[in-house]
Amino acid sequence: MSPQQSFEFRAPRSAHRALPPRRRMLQIGATGLIGGLTLPRLLQLQARAATPKPAGAEACIFLFLEGGPSHIDMFDMKPDAPAEIRGPYKPIATSVPGIQVCEHLPRIAKLAHTYTILRSHSHNDNGHNTGYHYVMTGYRADFPDGNSKAPNNHLFPSAGSIVARELGPKSPVPPYINVPHLMAGGGPGFYGSEYAPFVIEADPSQSDFEVRDLKPVDGIDAKRQDRRRRLLAETESQAPAAKGRPESMATYYRKAQDLVTSPAARKAFDIGAEPASVRERYGYTALGQCALLARRLVEGGCRFVGVDHSGWDHHFTIFPSLEKDMLPHVDRAFSALIEDLDHRGLLATTLVVLMGEMGRTPRVNKDAGRDHWSMAQSVVFAGGGTKPGQVIGATDKQAGYPTTEPVGVPDLLRTVFGQMGVDTSKVYYTPQGRPVPIVDGGKVIKDLL
Amino acid sequence: MSRDPILVLVLAIGGLLATAGPSGAGTVVTPATVRLNSPEDTQQLLVTETGPNGLAVDRTRAAAYESANPAVAVADPTGLVTPKGEGRTEIVVRTGAVVLRVPVEVTGLVSPRPISFETDVIPILTKATCNAGGCHGKAEGQNGFKLSVFGFDPPSDHQSLVMEARGRRVFPASPEASLLLQKGAGRVPHGGGKKLDEGSLRYRRLVRWIAEGGGYGRKDTPPVVALEVEPDQRTLALRGNQQIRVTAVDAAGGRRCVTAEAEYESNAPTIATVDRRGWVETGDHPGEAAVLVRYLGQVAVSRVTLPRPGVTFPRPPEANFVDRHVWDKLARLGIPPSGPADDAEFLRRVYLDTIGTLPTVAEARAFLTSTDPQKRAKLIDQLLDRPEYADYWAMKWADLLRVDRDAITPKAAVAITRWLRRQFAENRPFDQFARDIITARGGTAREGPAAVYVVLATPEELGRSVAQLFCGVRIACAQCHHHPSARWGQDDYFALAGFFSGVTRKSLPGGGTAVTYAPGTDLKNPRTGLVVPARALGAAPADFATTPDRRTVLADWMTGPDNPYFAPAIANRLWAHYLGRGLAEPVDDLRPTNPATNEPLLADLAKHVRDTKYDLKAVTRTILNSRAYQLGSRAVEGNADDAQNFSHAAAKALPAEVLLDAISQVTGVPEKFNGWPDGYRAIQIWDNRMPSYFFRIFGRPLRASVCECERSNEPSITQALHLMNSAEIADKVRAKTGTARRLADGGKPPAEVIEELYLTALARVPTDREKAVMLKLFAESGADRRAAAEDVLWALLNSKEFLFNH
Repeated sequence: MSPQQSFEFRAPRSAHRALPPRRRMLQIGATGLIGGLTLPRLLQLQARAATPKPAGAEACIFLFLEGGPSHIDMFDMKPDAPAEIRGPYKPIATSVPGIQVCEHLPRIAKLAHTYTILRSHSHNDNGHNTGYHYVMTGYRADFPDGNSKAPNNHLFPSAGSIVARELGPKSPVPPYINVPHLMAGGGPGFYGSEYAPFVIEADPSQSDFEVRDLKPVDGIDAKRQDRRRRLLAETESQAPAAKGRPESMATYYRKAQDLVTSPAARKAFDIGAEPASVRERYGYTALGQCALLARRLVEGGCRFVGVDHSGWDHHFTIFPSLEKDMLPHVDRAFSALIEDLDHRGLLATTLVVLMGEMGRTPRVNKDAGRDHWSMAQSVVFAGGGTKPGQVIGATDKQAGYPTTEPVGVPDLLRTVFGQMGVDTSKVYYTPQGRPVPIVDGGKVIKDLL
Repeated sequence: MSRDPILVLVLAIGGLLATAGPSGAGTVVTPATVRLNSPEDTQQLLVTETGPNGLAVDRTRAAAYESANPAVAVADPTGLVTPKGEGRTEIVVRTGAVVLRVPVEVTGLVSPRPISFETDVIPILTKATCNAGGCHGKAEGQNGFKLSVFGFDPPSDHQSLVMEARGRRVFPASPEASLLLQKGAGRVPHGGGKKLDEGSLRYRRLVRWIAEGGGYGRKDTPPVVALEVEPDQRTLALRGNQQIRVTAVDAAGGRRCVTAEAEYESNAPTIATVDRRGWVETGDHPGEAAVLVRYLGQVAVSRVTLPRPGVTFPRPPEANFVDRHVWDKLARLGIPPSGPADDAEFLRRVYLDTIGTLPTVAEARAFLTSTDPQKRAKLIDQLLDRPEYADYWAMKWADLLRVDRDAITPKAAVAITRWLRRQFAENRPFDQFARDIITARGGTAREGPAAVYVVLATPEELGRSVAQLFCGVRIACAQCHHHPSARWGQDDYFALAGFFSGVTRKSLPGGGTAVTYAPGTDLKNPRTGLVVPARALGAAPADFATTPDRRTVLADWMTGPDNPYFAPAIANRLWAHYLGRGLAEPVDDLRPTNPATNEPLLADLAKHVRDTKYDLKAVTRTILNSRAYQLGSRAVEGNADDAQNFSHAAAKALPAEVLLDAISQVTGVPEKFNGWPDGYRAIQIWDNRMPSYFFRIFGRPLRASVCECERSNEPSITQALHLMNSAEIADKVRAKTGTARRLADGGKPPAEVIEELYLTALARVPTDREKAVMLKLFAESGADRRAAAEDVLWALLNSKEFLFNH
C-alpha cells in the first residue's frame, strides 16, 4: 500500500463515519487540506478514488465460540416461531433500522452499523472436533468425531497457519497466535511447525496472568542473560544445526530470543499495561481479556489471533447459561473490541470474525437445551474492508436452513483470505505428494465487500 | 496381444537383425502387434532404446509414427494407436535411422460390444475427477449430484446418473443433450469447469453408452483384477522422461491397454512429475519417485530413480546384510555415505535410542577410554539388558495401545503398563506378544493386555487398530468407501472387524472391566446390507469350527508363516525408531503404493524377524551393529539433502519424556512429578493425564490414537522459550544440589569442571576451541565459579547438540 492509499483508507475512525473515498477526496480538495493540489493531481486522485482498491485487512481476530453458539438466540431470532423454537428471548432494535438481535446483546445492538451479520452460513459436519477442523482448515476432518488431540488437523493447515505462511511476520511478535490455549483445529498441518501458532497457554483474565517464559528469570540479570546468549551462540557456531528439525529449532531459538529481548513484543503481551477502565470495558472474562489481548497483539504486528472460547455446547438448560454468562460476556467483549479498534484507527485494517463450529437446533430439547445444528449458523464480520451495517442471507421460519444460497466454509475462508491479500490460487503439496489448495472451492461472499 | 518386443529392422542393412548402438544395444517397440476391439480402444506403443551403457532410454515421443492405412488405425505423436475402421494395417515407427513396423488389427467397430457402466463408464468419471473427494464424490455430493468416491459403488452411481434429476443427466433420445455431457464438456456452466474434451475417446464412449440406452450393462463382466505397469522400474537421467503403459488384466485373463484412461500421481513431484497420459518428466533433483497408477479400484506403481550423475565413492565395509542393502541403494543413487560416527557420537546415540537415557559421566569415560575393539558390540548387548530398555519400550507401546487412564481406569493403566514392561524385559517373542494382545481376556486390573478391549470398544475399531498396529495397514478409510490407494474395500473392513464381534465386556464391582468372548457373528457391510464372512486381510473366509473365540483364528493368521504384513510392519517400526525414519513412512502405512525407500532391505529385515523367531532384541542388535546405524551425522559433499536413504545419521528429536529425563540427569536435579513419589523417571510415568506443561509443549501424546504420528516431534517457539527462559529449567541449572553447584564448589580446576560438564551433557570432551571459550568465561567470572559453571551448563542444555539425538 502506498502512503497515500494508507492515508485514504486508514483515516476513517468509524465505519459509519467513513465517507465513500470519492466524496471524501473531493471534500478534502475543496477545503484545501492538501496543499498545492493541481488539476492533474486531483484527476489522479479522483481516478484512484473512483476505482477503490479494497481496504484490505492486515490482521484478523478470529473469535471462536467453541461448542456451537445458538444463532436463534443471538443473531437470527425468530419471534414469530412457536415458543419451543423461538425460546424465551426477545429481539431488540439495533443502530441499523430493520436489523434486530437478542435482547441480551444490547451493546452489540448499538454497533450494528459497524458489522455485518451473515445468517446463511451452513455446512453439514455436526461434530465438535470435526466441525472445528472443517471451519479452521476448510477441509473435512480425516478422523471421526470424538475427543482428539489438539491440534487435530495433522494434515490440513489452519487458516492462521496459512496466513502466517503467506503474509509472514511483521515484527518480532509471531504472525499467528492462539489464546488462551491451542485451538483444536489451529495447528499447521503439513506446513510444519514453522507455521504453528504461538500459544499463550494462559488465561489473561486471571490476576496472575503472564505469558509463560517470556520475562527474565528472577536472579538472572540482563548482563548474565547476555553472557549466556553469547556463550550459546559461540557454542553453536562451531557446529551448525543439522537440516530439518534442528535447523527449525535454531530458527525458533532466534525467534524466541527476539520475543524475550524486544520491548515492543513484550509490551504487546503485557495486558497489565491497559488502564483498568479498558479492561473493565472488555469485561473481566476469559473472552473479554482474550479479545483485549488480541487487540494488543494486532497492534504489535500479529497477523492472525485465534481466540478460543469454550462453553457453548448447551445440550442442557441453555437459557440460564446464555443470559447469565455467555451472552453478556460476548456482548461486552465483542462490542468493546470493535469500539476500541475503531477508536485506534485499526478497524479498517483488522478483520474481526465471530463464529463457532456450528449453530444449534431450532427446537428446544427435552432437557431445555439445544443440540448440534451445522445447517445454519450466524457469522459476524467487522472491519478489514468488509461492508458494515447489513444482514446477508436468511434462514427459514425456524432458523433451520438457509433460504438464500448457503454460504459454506470454503466461501468464508476464501473471503477472509481474499481480504487479507492471500493468494488463494496457490497449491502446496503434502510430503506424500497430495495437492492441497489454500482453499478448496468456495467463492467470495460478494455482498460482504 | 503379445508383449514380446519386435526386433529391430534396419532397412539400410537389408532386414538383418541390427543394432542401433555400438555395443549390442538396440531399439524395440512394444507391443509387437496391436489389436483394437472397440471404437474407443486405444493402445500405447512404447519405443525403447538400449544405450551403450545398458540403460534403457524412452524414445516414445521422439519417434515418428505413420499409418500404412489411416482409414483403419492411426497413431498420434505420443504413440497412442486409435482405431478408425475395421481391417488390418501397420504403424511405421521411425526413430533415428531405425524403422520398425507394428501390425494392427481393428475389429468390433461395426457392431461394437455394448458399453458396460462398471468397467467402461466409471473409469471416465474417475479420470475426469467427477467422483473425487472434493467434488461429487464427497459425502453430500455437489449441487445435488452425488457419486461414490472414486467410483467404488457403481450401482449407486448408475442410479444417480440415470434415475435422478428426472432423467436430465442421461438422455438417450438425444445423447449429446444429456446434462452429463453438457456439463462435462463445459457447454453449460459447470462449477467444476470443463472436464471432457468434446470428440475425445472418452466423450465418444459416453455418447455411445447413452445412445445404447444408458444401461448398466452386463453385471458379470469379468472384473479387473490386476494392473500391469511398464516399466515398473526405470533409472532416468535428470531432465529425462518416460512414457508409462498400463494394461488392465481381468479375471478371465483378458488384457486391455488403459494407459489413456488410468490416473497417475507422483509421490515426489519435485523429483518426477506425471501427467494424465502417464508421461513422466524428471527435474533437476536426484532421488526417487513412485508413480501411483489407479484404475477401477486397482493400484500399481512405477518407480523412477534419478542417480546423481558421475558420483563414485569407495564402498564402505559391510557389518551385516543391512549395510549391503544400504550401500547398494546409495551406489545406485550416487549418494556417498558419511564417514563412521566417532565413539562419542555413537555412545550418546545408542544410549538415547536403546534406553531413552543419557550415559553418565563414568559410563562415558569408561567407553571413550576403552581400547577393546569389540566395545561397541559389547555396549549394545549391555544396553539391551538394562531395565530402562523395558521402560522405554513399554512407554512406546503404551502410547500405541492407548493406555489412557481416563478410558480404562488408573488401575488398569498400571496393570497393562506392568505387563508391557515385563514383555520387553523378558524379550517376549513379538508373535507371542501380538497373540496375547489379539486374544486378551480377563480383568483389566490384572497384569495383562485386556484393557486394550476397553479403550477399543467396537469390532470396527479393533479391526482397524489391529491392522494398523500389527500389519501396517491403514484401513480406516474403507469403513465408508474403497481405500483410494490400496486394494482394501468396505467388505475387507467389515470382514476384519468380524473377528471381534464376540468380545464381551463386563464392569467389575470395584472398578475395572472383565473381557471375555462369546461365539460372535459376521458383520454386515452397511452399504450393501450383505453379511460379510469374517476374514483377515487378503485371506480366505475364516473357519471357526474349532474355536469358540474367533480371535484365535486371527491370531493364527497374524503370526503365521505366510502373513505378508506382520514381519515387515514390526521390522519397519524398529528401523524407524533407531534410524529416525521408517523405510516406509508413515511407519504404519505399508502398501504397494507407498513403497519403502529400500524394498530389499525391508524384505530382508522382515525375513530376519521371522528367522530369529520374532526376537526383537536380536533384530535390534543386527540394526545397531550395522555400519549404517553407526554412520556419522555430519553430512559430506553430496549427501546433505538425502533424508531417506540413510547416507548419514538423522538428527532425531528427543521424545518429551526422554528430554525431561536428560535435563534432570544433566542438571543433577530429579523432576518432581505431580502426585508421584520421588525416584520416578519420566519414561516410567504411566499416567498419560498427569498435568505437565513440559510434556504438553514437547508433544507427549494423549494416547488418543494407535498411530505413532500422535507423538509430535515438531519444534516450536514455545519449546525454545521454555528451555531458554523458564524458571523451571533455571532452577535446575542453579539448584544447590545440582551439577553446576557441585562442580563449582568442588575445587577442581576450571578445565576439569568444563570437561565434566561436557561429558555430562554431551557425552564427549570439549574441543580445544570450546575449552578456550569456556575457560575465558571462568576467568572473567573470577571468584564467582558458580555463575560460570551455571552459564556453561545453561549453554550446553540449550545447544542443538543436546536437544537432538544425532
